[in-house]
Amino acid sequence: MKAFFKHKNGLIGGAMIGFIFVVALAAFFWTPYNPLAINLHIRLQPPSATHWLGTDEFGRDVLSRVMAGAAASGTVALLSVISAVGLGLFMGVVAGFFRNWVDRVLMAINDTLLAFPGILFALGVMMIVGANKWGIIIALGLAYTPTVVRVVRGTVLSIREKEYVEASRMIGNSELVTMLRHVLPNCAAPVAVLTTSMVGWVLLSESALSFLGLGVPPPAPTWGNMLASSRQYMQSAVWLSLAPGLCIALTLLGINLLGDAVRDKLDPRMVVA
Amino acid sequence: MLSYIARRVALTVPTLLLVMVAVFALIHLIPGDPAQLMLGDAADDATLSQLRQHLGLDRPLTVQFARWLLNVVHGDFGHSITNGLPVLPLLLERIQVSGTIILAAVTLATLIAVPAGLIAAWKQNQTVDVAIVAGATLLLSIPSFWLGLLLMLQFGLKLGWLPVVGYVPLSENFSEGLLYLLLPIATLVMIESGILTRMSRASAIDVLRLEYVTHARAKGVSESQVLRRHVFPNAFGPTLTMIGVILGNLLGGIAVLETVFTLPGIGRLLVDAIYARDYPVVQGVMLLTALTYVFINLIIDLCYPIFDPRVTT
Amino acid sequence: MIFNRSIAFALSVGLVALFVQVSLAYAQDGSALRVRLSSDIRSTDPGTNRDDNTDAVVLHMVEGLVALREDTSVGPMLASKIVASSDGLRYTFTLRDGVKFHNGAPLTAADVVWSWKRYLDPATGWRCLPEFDGRGMTKVLAVEATNPKTVVFKLERPTSLFLTTMARTDCGGAGILHSSSLDSDGRWKQPVGTGPYKFGQWKKGQYIDLVRFENYASLNGPRDGYTGGKKAEVEKVHFMVIPDEIAGKTALYAGAIDVFPEVRSADIAEIQKKPQVKIEVAPAMDMYAFLIQTRDPVLKDVRIRRALALSLDLPAITEAVTEGVCQPNSSAIPSSSMYYSTVQRLGYRRDIAQAKRLLADAGYNGEPIKMITNKRHSESFDSAVLAQAMAAEAGIRIDLEVLDWATQLDRYTKGKYQTMAFIYSARLDPSLSYEMISGPKSTQPRKVWDDSLVQEKLAESTRSSDRAKRQVLFDELHRKMLEDVPFIVLFNSVDAVGLRANVVGYKSWAPAKPRLWNVHL
Repeated sequence: MKAFFKHKNGLIGGAMIGFIFVVALAAFFWTPYNPLAINLHIRLQPPSATHWLGTDEFGRDVLSRVMAGAAASGTVALLSVISAVGLGLFMGVVAGFFRNWVDRVLMAINDTLLAFPGILFALGVMMIVGANKWGIIIALGLAYTPTVVRVVRGTVLSIREKEYVEASRMIGNSELVTMLRHVLPNCAAPVAVLTTSMVGWVLLSESALSFLGLGVPPPAPTWGNMLASSRQYMQSAVWLSLAPGLCIALTLLGINLLGDAVRDKLDPRMVVA
Repeated sequence: MLSYIARRVALTVPTLLLVMVAVFALIHLIPGDPAQLMLGDAADDATLSQLRQHLGLDRPLTVQFARWLLNVVHGDFGHSITNGLPVLPLLLERIQVSGTIILAAVTLATLIAVPAGLIAAWKQNQTVDVAIVAGATLLLSIPSFWLGLLLMLQFGLKLGWLPVVGYVPLSENFSEGLLYLLLPIATLVMIESGILTRMSRASAIDVLRLEYVTHARAKGVSESQVLRRHVFPNAFGPTLTMIGVILGNLLGGIAVLETVFTLPGIGRLLVDAIYARDYPVVQGVMLLTALTYVFINLIIDLCYPIFDPRVTT
Repeated sequence: MIFNRSIAFALSVGLVALFVQVSLAYAQDGSALRVRLSSDIRSTDPGTNRDDNTDAVVLHMVEGLVALREDTSVGPMLASKIVASSDGLRYTFTLRDGVKFHNGAPLTAADVVWSWKRYLDPATGWRCLPEFDGRGMTKVLAVEATNPKTVVFKLERPTSLFLTTMARTDCGGAGILHSSSLDSDGRWKQPVGTGPYKFGQWKKGQYIDLVRFENYASLNGPRDGYTGGKKAEVEKVHFMVIPDEIAGKTALYAGAIDVFPEVRSADIAEIQKKPQVKIEVAPAMDMYAFLIQTRDPVLKDVRIRRALALSLDLPAITEAVTEGVCQPNSSAIPSSSMYYSTVQRLGYRRDIAQAKRLLADAGYNGEPIKMITNKRHSESFDSAVLAQAMAAEAGIRIDLEVLDWATQLDRYTKGKYQTMAFIYSARLDPSLSYEMISGPKSTQPRKVWDDSLVQEKLAESTRSSDRAKRQVLFDELHRKMLEDVPFIVLFNSVDAVGLRANVVGYKSWAPAKPRLWNVHL
């Protein structure tokens, strides 16, 4: 009974994420209307047969924008997480493994990154890179790297004393080989679990940044900037905020359910939610 | 152990310095300056340079940074360019507001989450557990400003139970001040308890599998005693760690809530100051935030060995 | 069990008591008006460290020799009579009788001289000093009190804008202050002026309270701009700092504030539908426009600029972004100005075919043109989005670049842009409007229109005080502007103010500043 239920959670989560993924992928090729097509005659219309989720303040079809937004938000989230995990793994493994001045320098950099306020960072990065989605990706990637570093380093610290690491060294493997072949794979489980949570956090961060005035610039839709600009119409056109808001919530729900199943499979002893 | 603590503390100084230099450089190099903002579309070169000189912005960056640092060491954080207020008292006032909300919310959330997580773990995969997990997951999936706005519209506007805008310091009038804080705290509690419930449930599940729990059960100890004496203390450790991380993250995310509820907190102060290019305020807030982060991380680092004996110092 | 229930009961009683107490506290109090400010004021010293919100609050407390009338012309305020010499170099102001400062002291010429000496002192940091110290329109050679009721200003150069500039809100109205506004060390303390409200309390970042001045000596007659009859009908005005627009709107609906200035056009219809709130609208003078950098390699060709203007459906943009509240205007002169003639109404009419022809002639190959915009002002932002879509129909490719306001202002000041959606703040005289947009780009890169002929005509218009002559000059300038297309004007803003239904006497007006006298609940 227990096993079946755990399985079911993962299935539901997987199904949700799968659905959204398919929609996002499809959005690259087809949406009911052009998400950027402006039509001033049909502004702010509630959901109807022709526009399933209604239209926004420029008469653009909300459903198409939600689909395109899935693609955009998804891309931003995935690329940010990949950058954070990539950089975090590198820094975390090196720091945890070597544990000397390298560790201290890396941790100092890590703490600096952690202490940096997100908005200043995002603003700064966007000045340099330009106010586009690459700026957001870099900013969010760097903002979440410290979390990955902490988890990875913690894991490395706890396994570096293990026998197989010692053994690897004894048979003459270089530090690099030891790191790559023995230490790194053992980080996979905690990092995998962290990754699933992080996608959710990044999605929320993107919407918060859009709310504060940064974020992927319009007219391209992301769930975050759709939610942010729907705020002024909360009373008159509530469907404008329900659509992206529910999408974010449901995606996160799916991610978390899936993440639970992933965690259960890989490392039931992991304590990261 | 003591030397480890001392070393760790000493390490924080270069980190702090690094952060301050990075912030200073970034905020000054971003285009736009307060003189321009004050003069708006009528800014001509002569008036601009006069104003910049008046504000001390014409000197080279290194000089400006050195002066600022020197003053800070003497306890002078400078004055806000926007309204001339001394920065340090302003910071302390604002941080009280944010701090009250965060601490109240996290405490309440913990009080809700830990028992909820424990119950869920104890009754794992039964209806109660499913309900709790689903509820917690849903709560943490909602963007904070959306939730805040929904609550404000429902309780503030439709029902009129709570004020939608304004702030009275608790020190001035506790009961009135509390009403202004209820909605933002409620929003934060809802989201944080989602996160913390899942966390405490996960760690409780872990512990429940451990041998000494089985052993206690075998001895005939009652379930509630098992929970209280064995599961709870061990499950709490990792949750405490995550609380530390969450607290750190919250300092950044609180800006959103403060904007929605119009609270004079430190998050909004930072965002407003960045947009207004109010350099002394940005630098002051950053220094304070960096100090807080560093302090929290220090505590976490020092706590690791206590809770997880696998980590050696 | 019983214990739990008692706790629950006690808690509920406690909560109810709390609600009641606070509802009494923040409910509407008939002796105070609560007004929203979108940002905290910068200081209480007129015309120095200021922005629009600062001016709005300060001008309740201080008054100058002259002030704006309701139609934005300049009329006497503290002066009862103004005589200008025929050569325009001497202005004689006769002060009104019976005017008192907030501290009870009577207004005398000595106070005027003291105030002006302070304004003209560079250490004060008066925003409008450049206009009066020789760098700008004229130089004030002397300010003298010939007798306790008469002040004489001696100027170096004549200018038709002397009184206009004195009355400018961003100059603090050149408000006359009593010397007790400064402390014993000569530092600014608080404003001791002659206005209908006096300074109460400033809780920085949160609110400013102004208190009724019991001995205010009002002019006779009805409300008339910043002059006219003024009466503080409420005891206190409580300006609350609510930066977030939506929080402010919610506060208005909930009855936590009585007055919400700067309502966005999109919200006007919503407010009109609700019974507990109402709206006051009047045309204002901010200018929404698309600026074009005429030195840009692509845009230096006037044909391309013209094609851009012809590709846009300007009335449709205005209608959409302002929900029909604002009227389209293609002139640099605001539509509420008395100089807004038939010629000024001329503009562009959308012609995609013609636009395409011009583009082909100019050899435009779809090069992307960047348009800078920002999220701070939604009408401006929306207009950029629409322009992008419309220009695409003629084959012009516009890429939007969203920046924060400070960065955009920086680019504007340096002229580093191709196009941008910009908002100019109000100018009260057409000469000032044209001066705002034209000038030599080498020394003033922020100017959009660099043309020596234009400079000549502009200078002429400031020298002359003859209305008909100035109208001719402005009309010529407008025609030339439509041909040169240095920028494309969209519309002028409105002063839309949201009010609780029981607020009586409030009037919106062109300078778009809230005035809380002659208003009560």
